[in-house]
Amino acid sequence: MKGYGKLLRVNLSDGKITKEEISDSMKRDFLGGRGFAVKLLWDEVKHVDPLSEKNKLIFSTGPLSGQLLPSAGKMVIASKSPLTGGYGDGNIGTMASVHLRKAGYDVVVVEGKAEKPSYLLIEDESVKVVDAADFWGRNTFEAQDLLEKKHGRNSGILLIGPAGENQIPISTIMSQKGRAGGRPGMGAVMGSKNLKALVVKGTGNVSNFDEARLREMGKKGYDEIKAKESYDFWMKQGTMQAFEWCNENACLPTFNYKEGVFEFSKELDGYVVEKLHADRKGCPMCNMQCGHVIKDSSGQSSELDYENVGMLGPNIGMKSLPQVALLNRLADEWGLDTISLGSAIGFLMEASEKGLIPEKLGWGDFEAAQRLVAEIGKGEGLGKLVSRGVKVASETLGRGSQRWAMHVKGLEISAYNCHACPGMALSFATSPIGAHHKDAWVISWEISTDRFSYNKAKVEKLIEFQRIRGGFFESATVCRLPWVEVSFGINWYPEYLEAITGERRTWEELYTMGDRIYNLIRAFWKREIPEFGRKWDYPPDRWFEEPHSEGKMKGIKIDREKYEQMLSWYYELRGWDQNGIPRKETLDALGLKGVLNEITG
Amino acid sequence: MAQLKFFGYLADIAGTRTKEVRLEKPVLLRELLPSAFPRENIVILIDEKPGHLESTVTNESKVVMMPVLSGG
Repeated sequence: MKGYGKLLRVNLSDGKITKEEISDSMKRDFLGGRGFAVKLLWDEVKHVDPLSEKNKLIFSTGPLSGQLLPSAGKMVIASKSPLTGGYGDGNIGTMASVHLRKAGYDVVVVEGKAEKPSYLLIEDESVKVVDAADFWGRNTFEAQDLLEKKHGRNSGILLIGPAGENQIPISTIMSQKGRAGGRPGMGAVMGSKNLKALVVKGTGNVSNFDEARLREMGKKGYDEIKAKESYDFWMKQGTMQAFEWCNENACLPTFNYKEGVFEFSKELDGYVVEKLHADRKGCPMCNMQCGHVIKDSSGQSSELDYENVGMLGPNIGMKSLPQVALLNRLADEWGLDTISLGSAIGFLMEASEKGLIPEKLGWGDFEAAQRLVAEIGKGEGLGKLVSRGVKVASETLGRGSQRWAMHVKGLEISAYNCHACPGMALSFATSPIGAHHKDAWVISWEISTDRFSYNKAKVEKLIEFQRIRGGFFESATVCRLPWVEVSFGINWYPEYLEAITGERRTWEELYTMGDRIYNLIRAFWKREIPEFGRKWDYPPDRWFEEPHSEGKMKGIKIDREKYEQMLSWYYELRGWDQNGIPRKETLDALGLKGVLNEITG
Repeated sequence: MAQLKFFGYLADIAGTRTKEVRLEKPVLLRELLPSAFPRENIVILIDEKPGHLESTVTNESKVVMMPVLSGG
C-alpha cells in the first residue's frame, strides 16, 4: 500500500536500532497515528510501571501526516500513562511530523532507558543517540533554540522541559515553543528514559499512489478553507472565540469548575486577544494557524489557545490576559500541561479556601500561581501534592476533596464546565484517555438541539463524533479544526486517503476502524487495571451535587439517575457489557479475537 | 424590544454584536437577518431554547446566534 513509511525502533538501553516494515493489514485495520500506537502498546506493553524502562514511548503519524494537505502537520505521542495508569496519548502539531515522514518513517518506538541524558537524532537513514548533557536541565524554549542552533532551523524538534526530566506525571512534550502534546504524562515517560529530545531532519518524499491528484486536491482544500465565510474571523481569534461562547452558554470553567460564568470574562476573551495580538504561530501545513501570540505581563511572547486561557484564567480566578499569558508561557517552558496545571492550581486554591491546607492561596493570586508552576514542575512544596494530578492529590488530602477533584480516570478535565451539558459530561467520561476534548465534543450540537435532555440520540451523536475525531482524525493524524471550525468538507478526507494509498475507504469502514481502536484502548485499560470498569466512566461529583450559583444556568446540575441511563445506552451502542467491558462478539467482529482472553484471563 | 446577540463571525456578517429591534408583531427570525446570513452550522437559541431561522420571534424574545465551534 502506498503512502506509508517504516517503523523505526530504538532501544536506548542497548543502543539497538531497527527499521521494520508495517504490514498492509496493520495499515488497513488501524490506519496510523493513534491506531498504530494502541496496537503496538497492546502487543508490547503489558503490566509495566509507566516510568520504568519497560514502558515504550510511541511517536506515530498517519498517512495524511506531513503531506501538503490542510493542517496535516500532526503527530500522536502515546504510552502507558503515569498519570492514569491506562492508555495515554496526545496530539501535537510539529515540524517533526513532516520531517519524520520525509525521512521515511511513520512511527518511532522508543524502548529502554539511556544511561545518561540523551537525544535521538534522525537524519533520513542515519539514526543516532546523542549526548544531551548540554540540554538537560534547560527549559523547552532554551533547549529548542540550542538544538536549532546545532542542527539548523530546518529540523523538527520534540522535547521535554525540566518537568518531564523530573518525571512529573502532568508533564507534556513540547515543540516550536508553544505546541504541546501528550497530556497524560508523556513528558514524564520521555524523562524516565533519559530522553531530552527527538531531532528529525528528513529530505525525501512520501511515495503516494496518485501524486498529481493529491496535489490538486490539496490545493483545492486550502482554497476552500480560505473561501469559508468564517475564515476571516477565525484568523482574528482562533480557538479563543470559544471563550465568549462558553461564558454565554455558562460552560466556562470558573473557580475550579464551581461556576460556568466569570464576571471578568471580557478581560480575557477573544476580542482582547485581537487587541493585544503580537504574532501568529501554528502547525506546519496549516493555512488557518490558531496560535495567537501576545506579550505577557513581563513583556515576553506567549502563544495562547482557548484551553490555556480557560484553565489558567477563570478556573483560577485570574482577571488579566497578560498575566494568564505569563503563566501559560511558564508552563510551556517547564513542559507542563496547561490544562492539568490550571486544574491543579484551582484544586489548591479551593483547598485553601476550605481550610484543608494551611497555605493561603486566594483565587486570582498571580504571585502564588507563578510560584506554584515552579513547585509543580519540581514536585516540591505544595507542588508535590498536585504534581501527580488532582486525583492523587484528592486521595492524599481526603476530607471530601475527591468530590471536586476535576478529572476523569485521573486526567484533568479540559475547559468545558458541564453542569448543564449532560451529553458533554458523558463525552468526557467516555473519552478513551480520560477527560479530553479532542475525543469529547458533543457540546455544540447538544446546546443547539436540547442541552437539558438525556436521550439516546445524544449518546448516538457522541459516538458518531468519537468515531470521527478520536478514531479517524487521530489515526489519519491530521487536524480536525478545519472541519470543526470552518466547516471544511469532511468528505475530502477519504478522497485524500485514496489518492495517498490507492485504496477507497467508505465512512462506514472508517467508523469500524474507529470502533476497533476504541475497543482496543478500552481493553488496554482493563488489562492494565483489573478493577477498571463502569465506575471509571463518571464525571466528578461536583457536576451531580453542586449546581451553579450564578448565571443563567443557576441551580442546574446533572441528574445522576438519567446519567446512568445514558451511560448504559452508551455501553449498549458500543457492544459492551454493563460494566463497560467489550463483549466477545464485539471484539470478534472487529477482528480482535483473543483480546477478551487477555483481559479476563 | 427583541434582543439579538451575534457571536464569532456571525457578528461580522450581521454587522454588529448586539441589536435591538422593535416588533409590532411576531416575525420569522430570518426576516431580521441579512440575506447573507449562513443557514447551516450555527447555534440558534431563542429564550434559551433551540431555534432555527424559521422560528418566530416576538418583541420580548432574546435571541442568541453562535457558530458551531470547539476550543482547543
